[in-house]
Amino acid sequence: MAMQGIPYSEALRNYSVKTFREPAGEVQEPEQLLRSFHPDYYPGTTVTLRVGVNRGDACHHQLAEVLQADARIDEADLAGAAIRETDVLVIGGGGAGCAAALVAARAGARVILTTKLRLGDSNTVMAEGGIQASIEKDDTPQMHLDDTLRAGHYRSDRRLVARMVADGPDVIRWLIQQGMQFDLDKYGDILLRRAGGTSANRVAYYRDYTGLEMMRVLRESVTNSNIEVLDYSPAVELLSNEEGHCGGAVISSLKDYSYTLVKAKAVIVATGGIGRMHINGFPTSNHFGATGDGLVLAYRLGAGLRDLDSFQYHPSGLTWPQHLAGTLITEGVRSAGAYILNGQGERFVDELETRDLVSSAILRECAEGRGVEVGDDIRGVWLDTPGLELRNPGTLAARFPKLIQLGKRSGIDLYHQPLLIYPTLHYQNGGVVIDENGCSSVPRLYCVGEVSGGIHGKNRIMGNSLLEIISFGRRAGAHAAEKSHRRGHKKVSIEHVSNLRRELTLAEMPMEKQGPALFPECAKFENDSDYDGLRRNRKGRP
Amino acid sequence: MSEKTENLVKVTIDGKEILAPGKLSTIQALWHAGYPRVKSVGCLEGVCGSCRIMVRRAGSTDVTMELGCQTLIEEGMEVSFLVFPTPSHHTYELGEIRNSWEVQAHFSRIFPEADHCRNCHGCTVSCPKGIQVERGVELAVKGRFREAGELFVECVMCNFCMTACPEFIAPNHVGIFARRVTAYFHIRPSNLINRLEKLRRGELQIRDQ
Repeated sequence: MAMQGIPYSEALRNYSVKTFREPAGEVQEPEQLLRSFHPDYYPGTTVTLRVGVNRGDACHHQLAEVLQADARIDEADLAGAAIRETDVLVIGGGGAGCAAALVAARAGARVILTTKLRLGDSNTVMAEGGIQASIEKDDTPQMHLDDTLRAGHYRSDRRLVARMVADGPDVIRWLIQQGMQFDLDKYGDILLRRAGGTSANRVAYYRDYTGLEMMRVLRESVTNSNIEVLDYSPAVELLSNEEGHCGGAVISSLKDYSYTLVKAKAVIVATGGIGRMHINGFPTSNHFGATGDGLVLAYRLGAGLRDLDSFQYHPSGLTWPQHLAGTLITEGVRSAGAYILNGQGERFVDELETRDLVSSAILRECAEGRGVEVGDDIRGVWLDTPGLELRNPGTLAARFPKLIQLGKRSGIDLYHQPLLIYPTLHYQNGGVVIDENGCSSVPRLYCVGEVSGGIHGKNRIMGNSLLEIISFGRRAGAHAAEKSHRRGHKKVSIEHVSNLRRELTLAEMPMEKQGPALFPECAKFENDSDYDGLRRNRKGRP
Repeated sequence: MSEKTENLVKVTIDGKEILAPGKLSTIQALWHAGYPRVKSVGCLEGVCGSCRIMVRRAGSTDVTMELGCQTLIEEGMEVSFLVFPTPSHHTYELGEIRNSWEVQAHFSRIFPEADHCRNCHGCTVSCPKGIQVERGVELAVKGRFREAGELFVECVMCNFCMTACPEFIAPNHVGIFARRVTAYFHIRPSNLINRLEKLRRGELQIRDQ
């Protein structure tokens, strides 16, 4: 049990705005800090997978539960289901899915994009900090590669990272060509901020609304194209042909409570991450829909996964007031010069260290009694926004309008009072194993964005996810469109679901839980009678 | 400061009477009371525009348009969630505008209704982000796209203004158009262009093995 921290009101009384505070110095024994405090190392968090391609691998127990869950549907659900055909089916309406769909459609493919909620409902729209691209004259793609590998503890797939960093500048150009704005200096050059754990200013941004700006532009591009968008239509299963290749997906509609089989020559899964599963009980910065659906779908069809025990906890999640717990405050604030202080008003870590180290240091301060305590087990440390404003007057208003809105909703005047922060579950570092075109180990199945793995190793740096979704979204879209020209449709089924059930039975696994989860528990989707139509065959199941 | 000491407040959400702590948003209050809520939920941070609600506060006859994740419940508040409306009927491709001299002509063709604004203020009043929507439309009609776009920095495309407009202008799409043409025609960063040129020449090779 963690030690009692310093009471909120007392810590606030002790706080004063200062221009200078002693830096914390380098982290001594970083590996030890991670092992002692990073949630990936909490005892008992991982189990060994017993079913599927990754049988025998370590996996977080909450993720294992959905990967080894029963399917939501069986053959009976597909009787009478409408059947559609397309060249490329994209599952997911965030940045990765939109980029893939746009590129595939412009290459001449017929594209259907299906999304669980609305187009643009995604983690992309919430991204704040920016997008990495080596643009500055002293920076190089090689340095970008080196930084990414180092921050990821050398557990990345080097080839994937090399492709991504080489794409960086052209990704920015492509986004501008879609109509996305970036913050510019007075000569019209792109402004760049520095990400934690990196060696150059490399993050391009638009205020702290980078993702919002990107998403509304991509959404507008998609809706003004010939891409057919199916909204409120979560995919519940992939389709396979006789050879075990991917041949489409089963789409459920939350509008008319029916299933549709969409046969496709290529499927691009871009469903994002898993934050709303609240791994290790942490609050999350993630979108409502981030329930790891794509991992489950791909795994069942036989796609290999990796790094299933590695998650990112972003250092600056708001922790008080409680109803906003988990809300993200961009790393850009620290990049602009904000300090993090413990309850005694001391800096305790280099604020621009990698995210895993900064988060671990915050958890250490709280565990050892130097955190700020609000009661009811809520604790955190200060993000010193008044100090930032004192050293750089005007920065908050010019660069961080979203943060100012958050301050208003919190009832905290962030010009005079620091915000209480605590690590928030932010990103799934691992995912589906892919190659440089986003292809998984299952032919015709692509996975791009957070659902894929291998780029970020054990820890991601700010701005690499927005780069990844566009870089690999475009790669997968182009590759899938090209390949689909030369393919016909084949007979498809959900035969792999029977194999899954056999495996689960043989491994004596429980079959009560069904996946993909689709929605967080709080939404009570499973009890919502509105959606009974999608469950009408469930009772008769053995 | 714990939640236990806080007062519960009574609100009506989609016809359901709910008792919940006053610190909760309308969506959190529904979940707190055990009601399912799947549609009209999104980022929960006020940037996706999904959770559109109409709100009437106790003792008031006014109905306001707000975002459900951003609105905290108050005693006697009545809330109803809105279904998302159909997309805009305007379509365009930036690529069909050959150069920036032609933007205004294309704008008039793509958004012919924008010129018919009757200054009813419906769009501005309905905006949960406080954007000067009507002013933005007016600037766009005059061809002042950069200025118009600047007004829409906070726009989350919730479409309230579209619903409110009696002339079917789709003011939010006007705003995004204004922002997009500004980037498409006028953002030419020399630092980016120089880097792209170096890459084109094959400088800056990466060791990928």
